[in-house]
Amino acid sequence: MIRFLFVALILVSNSIFSILEIEILKGSDNLSKIAFVPFGVDDGIEESYGRQISRNIEKNMLLFGEFENLPKSEMLSYPSSGNDFYYRDWKVLGVDYSVIGKVNSVNSLGNLNISYSLFNINRRIKLLEGEIVGSEDNIEGISKIISNRIYEEITGLKGIFDTKLAYVINSDADTYQMCISDIDGKNEQILFSSKAPIMSPDWSPDRKKMAYVSFENGLAEIFIQDLQSGERNSIQALGMTNSAPVWSPDGKSLALVVSFSGNPDIFLYSINSKRLIRLTNHYGIDTEPSWSPDSKKIIFTSDRSGSPQLYEINTQSKRKKRLTRDGNYNARGRYFPDGKSIFFVHGNNGNFQIATKKLSSRYIETLTSTSLDESPTISPNGNIIIYATKDGSNGYLGGITLDGKSRFSLPVKNGSVREPAWSPLLN
Amino acid sequence: MEPIGIFILAMLCQVYSCAANVSDSVERMQYASVAGDEYLQEERLETNLDDKVYFDFDKSTLDAEDKNLLEQYLPEIKKAKIVRLEGHCDERGTREYNLALGERRALEVRDFLIVKGVSGKKIRVVSFGEEKPLKSASNEKAWAENRRVEISLY
Repeated sequence: MIRFLFVALILVSNSIFSILEIEILKGSDNLSKIAFVPFGVDDGIEESYGRQISRNIEKNMLLFGEFENLPKSEMLSYPSSGNDFYYRDWKVLGVDYSVIGKVNSVNSLGNLNISYSLFNINRRIKLLEGEIVGSEDNIEGISKIISNRIYEEITGLKGIFDTKLAYVINSDADTYQMCISDIDGKNEQILFSSKAPIMSPDWSPDRKKMAYVSFENGLAEIFIQDLQSGERNSIQALGMTNSAPVWSPDGKSLALVVSFSGNPDIFLYSINSKRLIRLTNHYGIDTEPSWSPDSKKIIFTSDRSGSPQLYEINTQSKRKKRLTRDGNYNARGRYFPDGKSIFFVHGNNGNFQIATKKLSSRYIETLTSTSLDESPTISPNGNIIIYATKDGSNGYLGGITLDGKSRFSLPVKNGSVREPAWSPLLN
Repeated sequence: MEPIGIFILAMLCQVYSCAANVSDSVERMQYASVAGDEYLQEERLETNLDDKVYFDFDKSTLDAEDKNLLEQYLPEIKKAKIVRLEGHCDERGTREYNLALGERRALEVRDFLIVKGVSGKKIRVVSFGEEKPLKSASNEKAWAENRRVEISLY
């Protein structure tokens, strides 16, 4: 059923478009303070490498407003190894953690050997010591790996600095672009450009493909695009409308919505066999499926009770369970990575906000305070939600850390941005 | 032997590609009969009537006023070769649910027209959900204008 196939060019836009950049709106007063000491360099190595790496790590760690930094000008010393590191120099400045390091050697292939350490000042211990070898052309990549390790050590959560974000930009009435960029807004690429709407991007678990809905042929159709080659295939499931594709955790199938003669139901679509298996069969609207992390259940929105509410269905037994009862609009649910809670769009007194709920409890907790919030997506470590919202006639992305430490926004420079989708971690 | 082998291979390829084409066009036809774009080859008919009906939030039911409007429209609808119904929603709520809701609205109009004697075969239904608002503002007036089914005749 995959019919035509053509190759779309993947354009790298350096300056043409939007480039999302995170702006911290509200940080907590009680953030841990980290000193990012400029990395030292061995004899014969450009000093700028050391400064670049520590600056990159600092930018990464501060990206979502979860920490504060100690300005370089306030530092009493620039140690680059444990031998010249003194806890009291940092304790006196109210620092909680210090990151130091050194660029040790460059071999003839242009490889750098970088050592780094993380200290907990209050406990007076070295938390982490590591070494990494990488090319001098890839200082950004090396910095992301070090940042991930430091983040993981401090928070106990996976680092997400090498993840990406997909989103749709609507720059004027008739221009829609499916884009991806690094999570810090760098390296934006346009995957597909169209005069018709594009919606519902979803990353394959291996990050190599994107499924999304495009109206390029006059109605909603699901496409799968290979991110490396740019090749696009449409899935034609013979329905009036095909929509809301989401990859299964093993990447072998999609849950999606097919509307045969106007009745949208949830189906499973096997990528290899191209077979459709029906999951729901109800005259109401069933849409917005998403898999539980253990792939045993699918959460979906249904108006079978008279208003949109969330349900989950066991993919084997087909047994269904209603998940939300409070309020007359609970839709587009997604599971947290631990599978124990869900997040979704909650309508309350005419406001549509991002909310969470533990599966074991009835209580709904609203996270956002704007009124037109939708399309929430969660970081793979389960700690940050990015969602779409609107200010005047322009759409922008908002973000919030679930520990409540930070709120931020990702304003687009031109036009409206919507439909964020956070990539999985690299395996 | 060799040329014959290649010949057979070529024949097989041809048969195979032929078969693929056939099933392809069958799929295409079925597809077109629900929401195809063949109307694009036809000229859009001019009409003096308002070509939109409006809906309440999260609702797809036609009220008396809408039905009255559609009744007035009937003679022209019956004359048209193709009737295209495009369902839309306001921006509130979620995009994929709104895509389904827009389809519901267009189907509600289709069903009414069929009951009034319009041939279902010439009706094309498509939903754009909240993707193509008429008004970009976020207020009751703009939302009310955006919750619509647009009727175009060809």
